[in-house]
Amino acid sequence: MGRIIKHVILGFALLLAVSIAFTPAAQAAKEVKIGFSMALTGPLGPAGKAALLAMQIWRDDVNAKGGLLGRKVKLVYYDDQTKPANVPGIYAKLLDVDKVDFIVSGYGTNLIVPALPIAMERGMVFMGLFGLDANAKFKYNNYFQIMPAGPDPIVDWSRGFFELAAKQKPRPKTIALLSADAEFARNAVAGARRNAKKFGFKIVYDKRYPFPGTTDFTPILRAVKAANPDLFYVGSYPGGSVGIVKAAHEIKLEPKLFGGGMVGLQYTAIQMNLGKLLNGITDYWFWAPEKTLKFPGIEAFLAKYQKEAPKQKLDPLGYYLPPFAYAYVQLLGNAIEATKSFDQAKIGAYIRNNTHSTVVGDVKFGKNGEWATSRTFQVQLQNIESNKMSEFSKEGKMVVVYPEEFKSGNFIYPYAKGK
Amino acid sequence: MSKERKLFLIVAAVLIVGSFLITTQMENRFYYKAAYVVLQYVVLATAWNILGGYTGYVNFGTAAFFAMGAYTAVALIKTWKPPLYVLLVMGGLVSGLLGLGIGYLTLRLKGVFFSIATLALAVVLQMIISNWSYVGGGAGTAILKPRSVPMFSNYDEFLFFVMAALAVVSVAVAWLIEKSWVGRGMAAIRDNEEAAECMGVPILKLKLFATTVSGALMGIAGAPFSYFVVYIEPTSAFHLDYAVNSLAMPMIGGTTTWLGPLVGAVLVGTAQQIATVTLSSEMNLLIVGSLLVGFVVFAPDGLVGLFGKIRARLAGREA
Repeated sequence: MGRIIKHVILGFALLLAVSIAFTPAAQAAKEVKIGFSMALTGPLGPAGKAALLAMQIWRDDVNAKGGLLGRKVKLVYYDDQTKPANVPGIYAKLLDVDKVDFIVSGYGTNLIVPALPIAMERGMVFMGLFGLDANAKFKYNNYFQIMPAGPDPIVDWSRGFFELAAKQKPRPKTIALLSADAEFARNAVAGARRNAKKFGFKIVYDKRYPFPGTTDFTPILRAVKAANPDLFYVGSYPGGSVGIVKAAHEIKLEPKLFGGGMVGLQYTAIQMNLGKLLNGITDYWFWAPEKTLKFPGIEAFLAKYQKEAPKQKLDPLGYYLPPFAYAYVQLLGNAIEATKSFDQAKIGAYIRNNTHSTVVGDVKFGKNGEWATSRTFQVQLQNIESNKMSEFSKEGKMVVVYPEEFKSGNFIYPYAKGK
Repeated sequence: MSKERKLFLIVAAVLIVGSFLITTQMENRFYYKAAYVVLQYVVLATAWNILGGYTGYVNFGTAAFFAMGAYTAVALIKTWKPPLYVLLVMGGLVSGLLGLGIGYLTLRLKGVFFSIATLALAVVLQMIISNWSYVGGGAGTAILKPRSVPMFSNYDEFLFFVMAALAVVSVAVAWLIEKSWVGRGMAAIRDNEEAAECMGVPILKLKLFATTVSGALMGIAGAPFSYFVVYIEPTSAFHLDYAVNSLAMPMIGGTTTWLGPLVGAVLVGTAQQIATVTLSSEMNLLIVGSLLVGFVVFAPDGLVGLFGKIRARLAGREA
């Protein structure tokens, strides 16, 4: 029996060692600590690292100007490995051990939601980075999400695609829907389904493909071709998006409008991979180097980002996520400066009730902390002539065709004409 | 009741009461969350060891049993929000039944074929859950945890206490099995199934018992998962980590005794928790991987076996 007691004592000794390991170091004087979890490894790792770089650029920008209310900014972050189960522990550590002053979210819905209740319990302002309706159940009033999907994200996501389609003459009649079998894609296509109904398009094909795991898309696209739809709306992830674009060319699938919710076409590496094959596709987009999207500060930010990104082997142009990762901390920083306070409730109220100027444009939040109005662009890829990176940093390649307000060029219809 | 058994049960009771007392004293939520994960692995590793260590059937499908517990709970929460103990019982029941089904597989599949079948089970179940929209499907669903719970100042402390109690209970179950004729029967199956059968060991009954108990414990460990993580989706619930860790921990601790998985889970689980917030987290799996390789090569009986050998050698020297 002595053996068991010995083991119990050993266990306690271990616990003690652990608690010593976690004792916070003496706190540096008067820093503002912003804590977050970020996917630095796992499936979202590459994007998460790019987001982190953007946030570090913001930190350096702010500190160069003297910090926030005279206090230097420090980022405290841990890698959540793209695993939701790691998130609760990380935020508890940030708040109870590291004693951070502010928390912001990691990247993506799955990694935002586990942290939301923790922010709620402590009444803290919580900035979200690319969550799709993450706050729908919690309805927490101090949560603010930076992706411009809009108040009804699932429907707003594809609204532009359908408005564009509805304007064409002769008006297209039928649509095919294809979705990867996972969170974002299914939501995007669920929204497209509702829009198809609203706009009166007849759904002639509506299927999901296994995700991950599908590599050959030709049989799927042959079935789509057999249904002969006017419109083809796709909800897919990067690997699938590449496969679908290639397969569509291979079997000469030419609906009148093609694209919609294909993740990945916005990434430089994939653009360089697909090159000319992208021409004519219309997809959701958040930022492109077009004249209508030159928001204050974006070019200065991108210049810094593009200088550093190749060294860290990140997305070299960084048009998709990094500007928003910069903006969501920029917005928080601006709110702190504007309220001249570190009080969470005051800052929350300020963010809720005002319009904010950021590197991604003017942001106003509405229901559930989503953008008050959707600003998901539809971009048509045009005039791409090569696979070179420089091709994609030029104006006139990713042409904003929706909404009117940000339109930067003419929409080419049907798809075959723009191909 | 033997003296040893009495003492063991007293220690178990003391540990449960002790973990409750901790919640009245300590505020810092991080330790509760970190401890929850470690304790969850104590349950999973112990459960795995009942089948893998005692009986010799290597289960790669821990994630399937764990996730079935978690998703049973999600389905119940969506239907009528029962109290946590109902979730635990139902999670255990469903995964236990799944275990029983797997038990019948052992009639035909042995060794590596059994392992592959369990791995496939996880894939198939993940596919089914991904397509079951009531529990969130592939998109996942957010679960609101209860605002408050009597006797605890917040839900995190309560979950920690529940998992601590489950860990103690599962170790106790493993201990009871190991010390009884059932455990000896299982060991006989592990060593030589045919010989055991010839000697009159009821091998099918024992294998069914092992798979059921092992599955049920994994399901029970999974039941509170949705409250812990607040957002559940198939990829994280069926994560391969659960299978790898619950196999590596007993291997590192030692598979033949109840103490092995406990020591392995506490050591590896704690190291992983520390690595997550200190080192880069790629280190996490590297730690498990290198420890696993190291132990398989240099100490195939795990830490417990290693200590036993060292002690035997020292005793030999003294004599």
